[in-house]
Amino acid sequence: MEDLLIKIEKRNDVPTTLYFFTPFIAIILTIIGGGIIFYTLGFNPIEALKFYFITPISNLYGFSELLLKATPLCLIAIGLSFCFKSNNWNIGAEGQLTFGAIVGGGVALLFYNQEGFYILPLIIIGGAIGGMIFALIPAILKTYFNTNEILVSLMLVYVSKLILDYLVVGPWSNPEGFNFPETRQFSDSARMPLLFEGLRIHAGIFISLAAVFVSWFVLYKTYLGFQIKVSGLSLKTAKYAGFKGKTMILIVFMISGACAGMAGVGEITGPIGQLHRMISPDYGFTAIIVAFLGRLNPFGIIFASLVVSLTYLGAETAQIFLQIPQYTGQVFQGMILFFLLASDYLLFFKIKFQNFNKNELRH
Amino acid sequence: MATDLRISNISKIYPGCIANDNVSLQFKSGKIYALLGENGAGKSTLVKILSGVISPDNGEVFLNEKNLKLSSPLDAKKNKIGMVFQHFNLFETLSVFENLSIDATEDNKSLRVRINEILKKYNFSINLDVPVLNLSAGQKQKVEIIRCLLRSPKVLIMDEPTSVLTEQETEELFISLKKFCDEGILIIYITHKLKEVLSLCDEVAVMRKGKVVSVSQTQNEKVETLASKMVGQKLAKIKKKINTSKNKDEIFKVKHLNFYSDDPFETNLVNLNFSLKKGECLGIAGISGNGQNELFQILSGEIITPNTSIIFRNKEIAKLNPKQRREYLMAFSPEDRISQAAVPELKIYENVALNNFKSSNFFEKGLVNERKIKEHSKKILSDFSVNTDNVELKSQFLSGGNLQKLILGRELITAPELLICYNPTWGLDVGAINYIHETLIKINDEEKSTILISTDTEELLKLSDRIAVIYKGKLSKIMPSVEVTPEKLGILMGGGSID
Repeated sequence: MEDLLIKIEKRNDVPTTLYFFTPFIAIILTIIGGGIIFYTLGFNPIEALKFYFITPISNLYGFSELLLKATPLCLIAIGLSFCFKSNNWNIGAEGQLTFGAIVGGGVALLFYNQEGFYILPLIIIGGAIGGMIFALIPAILKTYFNTNEILVSLMLVYVSKLILDYLVVGPWSNPEGFNFPETRQFSDSARMPLLFEGLRIHAGIFISLAAVFVSWFVLYKTYLGFQIKVSGLSLKTAKYAGFKGKTMILIVFMISGACAGMAGVGEITGPIGQLHRMISPDYGFTAIIVAFLGRLNPFGIIFASLVVSLTYLGAETAQIFLQIPQYTGQVFQGMILFFLLASDYLLFFKIKFQNFNKNELRH
Repeated sequence: MATDLRISNISKIYPGCIANDNVSLQFKSGKIYALLGENGAGKSTLVKILSGVISPDNGEVFLNEKNLKLSSPLDAKKNKIGMVFQHFNLFETLSVFENLSIDATEDNKSLRVRINEILKKYNFSINLDVPVLNLSAGQKQKVEIIRCLLRSPKVLIMDEPTSVLTEQETEELFISLKKFCDEGILIIYITHKLKEVLSLCDEVAVMRKGKVVSVSQTQNEKVETLASKMVGQKLAKIKKKINTSKNKDEIFKVKHLNFYSDDPFETNLVNLNFSLKKGECLGIAGISGNGQNELFQILSGEIITPNTSIIFRNKEIAKLNPKQRREYLMAFSPEDRISQAAVPELKIYENVALNNFKSSNFFEKGLVNERKIKEHSKKILSDFSVNTDNVELKSQFLSGGNLQKLILGRELITAPELLICYNPTWGLDVGAINYIHETLIKINDEEKSTILISTDTEELLKLSDRIAVIYKGKLSKIMPSVEVTPEKLGILMGGGSID
């Protein structure tokens, strides 16, 4: 009996250009994969893909929606890139987003019947602090009790969602709201200014863009960024160089949590305008895909957030025009991640096939 | 049936080093053979060739006069050559039985029967259904041995098997090995521990620098004779001027250094005390794995141990991290230059920035001062004759020698008062070794001190003013290097005692 023996070897030098090019390959493969799925569902794949990827952004409103959804994705992914670059696996951005929204929303509700220019900044700061505190929980447990940050940060997502649930049903529910699980509407001073009349795109996009530039500066031009880079490549070297490992873990989690918290505030003070149960279509989880698709590079993340945002919009149009469930959006996001990881694997490893005869082993 | 294993004219050459130089040996079943040698003597290369992990450049292996083609570990298995490596190849979260059944060719029921027979026959007590991670190192090793026995091997190779075992477990292992031997399995025992050779083995082959230097009956050998064969009568050619002046200031003093670890692959350190004068080189000899790693990390501040006192230039620094110790003018060159002292993916100037200290101004107010770092890197490249002037080059493209020059340069350009280095010339070619030795002598001449932890006795005898040997985490008495001979070192390194 002849069997194929598969051998996997590490490639020594991967060209940087190819490293930044593979995300495009992953996107193309995702589109092809999507076409195949549409075909098996009985649709004309070209037509369906057009509905999915072209129709949503063929008018100004659609384009504004693209930016609207890219705004939180980009901001969260920027925060996550600090964690991921330094080998800290914060999977709980969704929870930090939710808790940031709770704190920010709490501030907004405090001022529900007041107007003033200072209200919105207070809400944003509240959101950032909320996200930061929530991200500090896995960070402190990791540094001082050796827990696994993947599990803790992930589990805390559900904790924050339940807290939100409790608040909007109980103490914070709108007294005039006929027991709907939602809070009062925020006052106008507590809302993100809209950029254009009739479009939903709001000033939160400037926070995301500012985060891109600040993070680029911190990651590539400061001592903190240098320490993050070294720790991500080799923890042994970071220890040898005497970097304060524990402090750094706390800092990257705080940055990440603050970004996610502000993204949550952007949602509730932007398109939503109040707190209710469904403040985020899993932006916190999807941003993980965005961070990796963007190669943890601030400018790559802008591009990746637009691509992934399009899968949300495409899913909505596909539901309307093709009567297929909105969850296809998650299928596309999953495919992007799958193809990205697969092409990375082939980028970093080569696979060799060898023949060997299994029968000989038996004697 | 008797087994006869013959290795004929095996050679294996790596760039810059001959790992096996025309090695010929013969082994017959019914005896336990020892393969003895220092680190880098070529033992591991030879057993890797026998187990099919690497192929020789030249030479052949014969089993019962049949020429074996060993091009993969599977070939070794087919030919009934079993191998137990120093580091275990077990899945920690799977049970013992699952681990054993992975590469078995029979059904689980008959496999279990056979495993139980083996357990009974050799008096092993191992619960087959617990996860491997719950086993002690000795039990894990038994699982590896059972895996070999299931294939009814003709040859069983044990690579440094006692390095992770307790005394008790070592005794049990020896009893089992003697049993296997009586049953006709040919046993090859790789070690650098002299006492084990004498108590367990019948014949001993000593390797040095890739060559077999002697084959003899152990009954005709003593610890001393084996030690001198293992280390060789290598007298240092260029020896540094010994620093004897007694009235120099003491610069570094370690008291009550203890280290305890739960990890069986780490060595506990037991009450180390030593001190160092200005301009002096203290050599710490020992076979690798006797606590040098842990000692280096404690001296550099990567590991902080409680109740230890380290005085450097009249200040207590035992609680400081490596960066803070650097501010007091200490410098460190670790053994693992490829993945610890430098990051291969980083550019040369980024690797230089790893040794960041206050006066360097590499990072002013938290910002990277790239111009300053690059200037500084250029100076290191030229001062320490690294064969490139491109500071943007990724350090993975430097040869071992040039990388080590870069690292030493980075550490020394700050003019430290004390350099602690661990195997600074490991794996380098002669030219680079000489350059580094000259550099280390030069810093002593400039009244700076060095602690040289090394597994290379020749290097230690050449560079040190005083030498101590570390064995199983304990430090021998510190001897002036004029009184030290290679034989004495060999005995101490193998766990023996002198006078």
